[in-house]
Amino acid sequence: MGSILNPLYYAVSWVMVTFHSFFGFIFGKDGHESIKWSLSIIGLVIVLRIILIPLFVKQIKSQRALTALQPHMKEIQKKYKDDRQKQSEEMMKLYKEHKTNPLASCFPILAQAPIFFALFTVLNGIARDVPHGFLKGDLLNAAQKAEFFGANLSSTFLSSGTNGQTKLVTIALIVFMSATTFTTQRQLMVKGMPKMDSSNNMMLQQQKIMLYVFPVIFAVTGVNFPVGVLIYWSTTNLWTFGQQFYVIKRNPTPGSPAYEELIKKRAIKNSETGELPSMDGSAAGDVNPDQDDETNQQKQRQQPSKKKKKKKK
Amino acid sequence: MRKIFSKAIKFYQRWISPAFGPRCKYYPSCSTYALNAIEEYGAKGIVMSAWRIIKCNPWSHGGVDYVLSKNSKQPIKTGAN
Repeated sequence: MGSILNPLYYAVSWVMVTFHSFFGFIFGKDGHESIKWSLSIIGLVIVLRIILIPLFVKQIKSQRALTALQPHMKEIQKKYKDDRQKQSEEMMKLYKEHKTNPLASCFPILAQAPIFFALFTVLNGIARDVPHGFLKGDLLNAAQKAEFFGANLSSTFLSSGTNGQTKLVTIALIVFMSATTFTTQRQLMVKGMPKMDSSNNMMLQQQKIMLYVFPVIFAVTGVNFPVGVLIYWSTTNLWTFGQQFYVIKRNPTPGSPAYEELIKKRAIKNSETGELPSMDGSAAGDVNPDQDDETNQQKQRQQPSKKKKKKKK
Repeated sequence: MRKIFSKAIKFYQRWISPAFGPRCKYYPSCSTYALNAIEEYGAKGIVMSAWRIIKCNPWSHGGVDYVLSKNSKQPIKTGAN
């Protein structure tokens, strides 16, 4: 296992060490190890999530392309309303036929697991004085002393013994992780998704799980994880929240409550400025799909101007 | 061994997956596929499931993809909804 993941140890430790020396310019070459290493972990998250942005944009694009398929989808729902299996089958066939699939796909989540595991190993290596990748020698010694709000980056809740500060920080991070996951999902359910008949039920079930099951999962796993891993986890959650918040505000899914809000806002603004209201599917945003798909053949699209974008904030 | 796998997948389906909403590009979903594949083919089913998950990537267009039964080569439709 270790040898397969070796390149990942190098990658993870390289990003961390690079950030560490970068922050050395800001905080000084010596000292301030705590803030330098904490920010290095956050930097690792940011690098990773920036790499993943194209995937996210791709998914948003295919979701928007669905507007064109809306009539077909309604037809399928009506035709097979008593047979959910057939309904899902036909829906998937439709997506495939039109070469657009709004779903996020399963692989990326699993692909993140090795990276997470590599970070876990590298940070554990700091605690146990085992060098991994580029994190060795003096750097390893320096990292061993780094703290996050007084809790050692490589300490865990369970291994911290009587160190109350580590326990406090761990609990705070676990609470933070639970809260961000919950808010992210809630925001998506309430504002970001097209209204469906079954959504109420699903939403309740989901919220129950988010409220009770996830904190338990986070707590059970979190007490075994080094503080550094928890920082990674919290930051990535926060990023997900921000990313989704941005998309829901600026480029919501057609048919979702957020989309209607945006259309309303634009209509009001347009009537103020005397422009024609644009009711097409192109709620403008920076991650707007390139409009070369079927969406455009039906409706004339108005190019959103810079000025409009600014005011929408 | 099969039991452990199906227990784990069922736990995932019951408690973890709903929180993230539907995300699989295929029908039936990767987890249902894995459940059926491991039930029907054992260790080979694990490989089949792994391949299915790799196929379920951002560049794929998804589609309908059932596990075929060993004997009759008919699609296994249990657990799919």
